[in-house]
Amino acid sequence: MKGLIIWIRTEAGSKESILDELGSEIEDRGGKVEVFHSETIANLGMEENERAKAAACAMLANHGVIVIASGSKSPGITAGKNFEIREIGESDLCRTNAHDTFMRNLELAGLVPPPKYDVHPDEEEDILKKLKDLGYLDDDSAPGT
Amino acid sequence: MLVSPHGGRLTDRQCEGKKAEEIIRQVEKGILLTLNAREKNDLEMIGNGAMSPLEGFMCRDDYMSVIDLMHLSSGPVWSLPVVFSGKPDDPEVSKGDHVGLRDEDGLIWGDMEIEDVFNADLVAEAENTLGTADDSHPGAAYLNSLSGTYIGGKVRSIRRRESESFQNYRLDPKETRVLFRARGWNTVVAFQTRNPIHRAHEYIQKCAMEIVDGLLLHPLVGETQSGDIPADVRMHCYEEILKDYYPSTRVAMSVFPAAMRYAGPREAVFHAILRKNYGCSHFIVGRDHAGVGNFYGTYDAQKIFDRFDQDQLGIVPLKFEHAFFCEKCGGMATLKTCAHGSEHHVFLSGKKVRAMLIEGKMPPPEFTRPEIAQILMEAAGNGEDN
Repeated sequence: MKGLIIWIRTEAGSKESILDELGSEIEDRGGKVEVFHSETIANLGMEENERAKAAACAMLANHGVIVIASGSKSPGITAGKNFEIREIGESDLCRTNAHDTFMRNLELAGLVPPPKYDVHPDEEEDILKKLKDLGYLDDDSAPGT
Repeated sequence: MLVSPHGGRLTDRQCEGKKAEEIIRQVEKGILLTLNAREKNDLEMIGNGAMSPLEGFMCRDDYMSVIDLMHLSSGPVWSLPVVFSGKPDDPEVSKGDHVGLRDEDGLIWGDMEIEDVFNADLVAEAENTLGTADDSHPGAAYLNSLSGTYIGGKVRSIRRRESESFQNYRLDPKETRVLFRARGWNTVVAFQTRNPIHRAHEYIQKCAMEIVDGLLLHPLVGETQSGDIPADVRMHCYEEILKDYYPSTRVAMSVFPAAMRYAGPREAVFHAILRKNYGCSHFIVGRDHAGVGNFYGTYDAQKIFDRFDQDQLGIVPLKFEHAFFCEKCGGMATLKTCAHGSEHHVFLSGKKVRAMLIEGKMPPPEFTRPEIAQILMEAAGNGEDN
């Protein structure tokens, strides 16, 4: 999987928890994620500015990491051979439909892993019953056996 | 762990019960557009997730991207257009309309939120996807019969179980996935066919079974051309051969409700991607897969897979040469495994077999198992019961 920078354009008064929530969502799917908080650059001993942040994000993404970062404007870097950049506004990310569409497009582009299950667990029981009724499975068959 | 669906997740645009009744109430008094037989098959397969990641009939961006590049505009590999054509007797529609989709008898099968109405480039579509715009090709003849307007948008498909043929063999992708997991299969090879099973098919299926956990026999039962053996006869042949010649724990049979497009190489990729959605990790591609007449080279449908990286496709094509019984080897073989000349090979053309069946002559057991030949002779009107 290629690396990715998800760059969230922030607005006045924004909270960084939105970065962590997105990071958790992608980690739950099995993605290799690094969330860049405002203090990350300072912790690296570098002067904090958006250019330095974007360069550090690019270095990580170049090695297949999904980097989530934010800034008041676009990161000012271009995608590389091994990574892509996708931007989304903070307010869009908070709207369910826009969030879902954004994530789905990342999935379709092969940039984030899909959800872990292909059939919702709530449906499995009904399907197993149908499969038994049709003779595809014996009564003692169970998932994974 | 089973292979992921194409584009990451199975789409679900299928409605039953109260939800389906609600859709019918919403659309029955409004604009209704007419589905032809192919579009009806496609609607069903979009609905049940077999065509994931498609959620509806293609809009212009996807249509052009598929014709020119064999990718959806969002990225995934996709080799054939899945489109809805405007019909001359249907009302005019525009972007934003919510319409019902009915068959030629007036029965409602779904709805569509129209996102695009656009002019099709039918000549480019035919030449790029079929390799010809000549009317003697059934796929090109179909395209040449269309109005030239396509209507795209997300659909919902109403499932009408009571009208389905082969009900006991109808499994949606999420159902085959649950089945494979329940049987403990991680790797599954799919075999697509629109022909009755002969020894050559049996041989390549069993070769494939040696390297995977299970076999999904997936006969196509959607619309085919009139010369093909009827689906019920083909299914009967498979039921018969499964009784005595295949280990029941390692084989599942279910129908594939797609319509044939006779698009050869591009359709082979299309068939593979759809089988990936059913949970299959491997797909058998034989000689002239989905071909018709002499429009495609014998192995064109195998070569096309070389254009894609494996991680783009997500399903492994298993490419088989023509198999035959070799009298010297004393068994089934292909040119890859047999050292003997063709004079030792039992091979009959499809035309020759059809002639034998019509004349009431049993094909040799090295070509067709006698149980299958009997069924085919009966279907041709020359069985013992006739």
